[in-house]
Amino acid sequence: MKKTFLALALATGLFLTSCSSDDNDPPIVAVTPTCDDGIQNGDETDVDCGGSCTPCAIAIDNPSSYTFERDGEVTVSFSGQTTRLKMGDEILEALMDETVSAEKIQAMYAHEEGVADFEDADLNASDKSVRSKTAASADFFSSNATDQALIRADFDGWIRAQVDEVFPNWEVAASAGVAGQIADGSSTRYVSAKGLEYNQAFNKGLIGALTTDQIVNNYLSPAVLDAGTNIEDNDADVVAEGKSYTNMEHKWDEAYGYVYGLNADASNPNADLGADSFLNKYIGRVEGDDDFVGIADEIFQAFKLGRAAIVAKQYDIRDEQAEIIRQKISEIIGIRAVYYLQQAKIPLAQETPAYGSAFHDLSEGYGFIYSLQFTRQPNSDAPYFSKTEVDTFLVDLMADGDNGLWDVTPETLDTIAAAIADRFDFTLAQAAE
Amino acid sequence: MKRILALVFFITLIWACSSDNGGEVPPADGGTDEPKEEPQEVSFERAPMLVNWADNIIIPAYTDFDSELENLTAAFENFNIDATTTNLIALREAWLTAYTKWQRISMFEIGPAESADFRFSMNTYPTDTDKINAHISSGSYDLTLSSNRASKGFPALDYLINGLGDSDEAIISKYTAPDKEALLTYTQAVLTDMNALTDQVVSDWQGSYRDTFVANDGASATASVDRFVNDYIFYFEKFLRAGKMGIPLGVFSGSPLPQNVEAFHEGEIANMLFLEGLQATQDFFNGKHYASTATGESLASYLDNLNTVKDGEDLKAVINNQLNKAREMVTSLDAFRTEIETNAPPTDMLLAYDEVQRIVPLLKVDMVSAMSISIDFVDADGD
Repeated sequence: MKKTFLALALATGLFLTSCSSDDNDPPIVAVTPTCDDGIQNGDETDVDCGGSCTPCAIAIDNPSSYTFERDGEVTVSFSGQTTRLKMGDEILEALMDETVSAEKIQAMYAHEEGVADFEDADLNASDKSVRSKTAASADFFSSNATDQALIRADFDGWIRAQVDEVFPNWEVAASAGVAGQIADGSSTRYVSAKGLEYNQAFNKGLIGALTTDQIVNNYLSPAVLDAGTNIEDNDADVVAEGKSYTNMEHKWDEAYGYVYGLNADASNPNADLGADSFLNKYIGRVEGDDDFVGIADEIFQAFKLGRAAIVAKQYDIRDEQAEIIRQKISEIIGIRAVYYLQQAKIPLAQETPAYGSAFHDLSEGYGFIYSLQFTRQPNSDAPYFSKTEVDTFLVDLMADGDNGLWDVTPETLDTIAAAIADRFDFTLAQAAE
Repeated sequence: MKRILALVFFITLIWACSSDNGGEVPPADGGTDEPKEEPQEVSFERAPMLVNWADNIIIPAYTDFDSELENLTAAFENFNIDATTTNLIALREAWLTAYTKWQRISMFEIGPAESADFRFSMNTYPTDTDKINAHISSGSYDLTLSSNRASKGFPALDYLINGLGDSDEAIISKYTAPDKEALLTYTQAVLTDMNALTDQVVSDWQGSYRDTFVANDGASATASVDRFVNDYIFYFEKFLRAGKMGIPLGVFSGSPLPQNVEAFHEGEIANMLFLEGLQATQDFFNGKHYASTATGESLASYLDNLNTVKDGEDLKAVINNQLNKAREMVTSLDAFRTEIETNAPPTDMLLAYDEVQRIVPLLKVDMVSAMSISIDFVDADGD
């Protein structure tokens, strides 16, 4: 019974895809009850397969949590992702410590094995680095060294500017054209002369350039999942040398690790969304918006079913789940970009504009807009917005006057927000609150 | 069973296809589910209410606060000259009086107060004692900076006159020690900052802002009434309810934070400060003139004029009854700090908090919808 239900759910999934992508399908009522009616009938041995239909696939055993084993051994591993998320959190702390040098933060960002860059000794011992995985996906950057270099230069530049422009003015009140500190409600923010918090640009930019890019354009891509002999090996349950997992399983888990690598129980991660300062946190935030309730579970379920499909060697199902993840994670970025652009209008509209609150929203928005270039439109090889489009948005955001965000107008915020929302399946109004 | 499954399948299929037409926009959240009523013929004039607020409540309250702050400054001058127990006690009394009067004006965070970031500058607590100590020993600080708001104002004074030692003698000894000058200078600087901010706000109200405020008597998101009602409810929700009770109770953090009670170092007066704030919001609601029994046009008379009822009851009375109930509950409590530190969970104070909380939707939903005022603040992002 359980199996039937699963297969039914899968068949439903297939139909959903087909009816939304193709208007020329026969009308639903005319479907004849045979090998594609979602019911086990005739000589079928399961729903729509076996007997005179195509052979039944190995049933997908979709567990209730992200728990997978082979011969009693756990096969899920993503320690490298956990390591980079922890490095990211320490870098963000350093960006808010005005006593730290640019060289030190840069060394943390481009960590080398054995160097004492971090508080956490395990991170120092690691051969992983955040910078080496910035704009480093197989699909987008393996043959685009130019953009990769330009993007890494942006991150290097934000570190440098934070130290050179903002740290010296740590104890100075910010004003138009002067970097320094500014109140945002009970918090204090530290902004550039143009009102931008470089640490926010860096943080929210990494959500795209590191986590999203690695997930949607690298580990979930057939170019990576199916590299070398991965399919043959997975079909034959040939595990990676000395490991319990096949290479394909591991690649999928590495994508998973960039979202859930710091959750207390990574097999049931939605219990404590917000475990990092990157995607995990903002999936939680979007989930908290009534318009998008359920998105966290959709992402998790797609990861889980896709992984189960790899175990069952059903690569079509795997790829469908990858497309869902691509769309949903891209939406997280789009929704947050629009959200912050719209939220910023409220403090600006006050009788006394609350610039600090607006700048904080806009600095987060800046980073999310930056991250749009690492999104992925499902069933395509393109992001929702190209690097050129993103760069134009960011120039426009800072160009209403000589002093950047100090001069930004609600019209500019609306124009950019509307352009972003237009390309996604959500509305401006849904994302705005 | 299979038939049922098949049915579910087809329903799912039909639903999926019909919802995927692309053009359909799901209803946006917020405000669309209540039927829009026809604009009523309303005879209520907002302008006289603004005049009553400004001339009979806000400006007299500010003026009175300003003079209490001068008394506090004078008390410090005496203590500065002669750091005796008697002068310390007099300084504390003046501090308490001014702090109490502050509860009457904290809600007026509009115009000059908003520009000055008055509330956070005067009363951010818990105060940052490490930072205060660092400032005293370095002698180098700019109290006008945003990042110094937790090391100045009433809570910093609380630490400086109540928290530097376990006894009056211990505190006095700090002010008579060889390095006393740095401490006295810092206390002086805190008072100077408070006076400068207050003078600015009071003189703006006594000057042109009063007319600006009163003249902006329309009904739009940027009109004085709409703005002020938002500020009033924001104060009630975030500073009175959450700041003075909810946060120290651990309602938002999951575990109690007794160090977050107002006037923590003094330890006994947080209830009184809360009750003064509660009374101030109720008096404002009813349009009661400052330090008088007279009343004028108010949110309450506005509701009367609109003839607003909730579940068959007069909304004005519902709000006043709930405010009274909350006051009764809080009045019967021990000191907040004691309630939180000695009870786990602090049930009595939580029950009182719940009664305070029940006022929020009456103001934030029922009252504003009757007045067609939209709430312009959202819960902060939190990062």
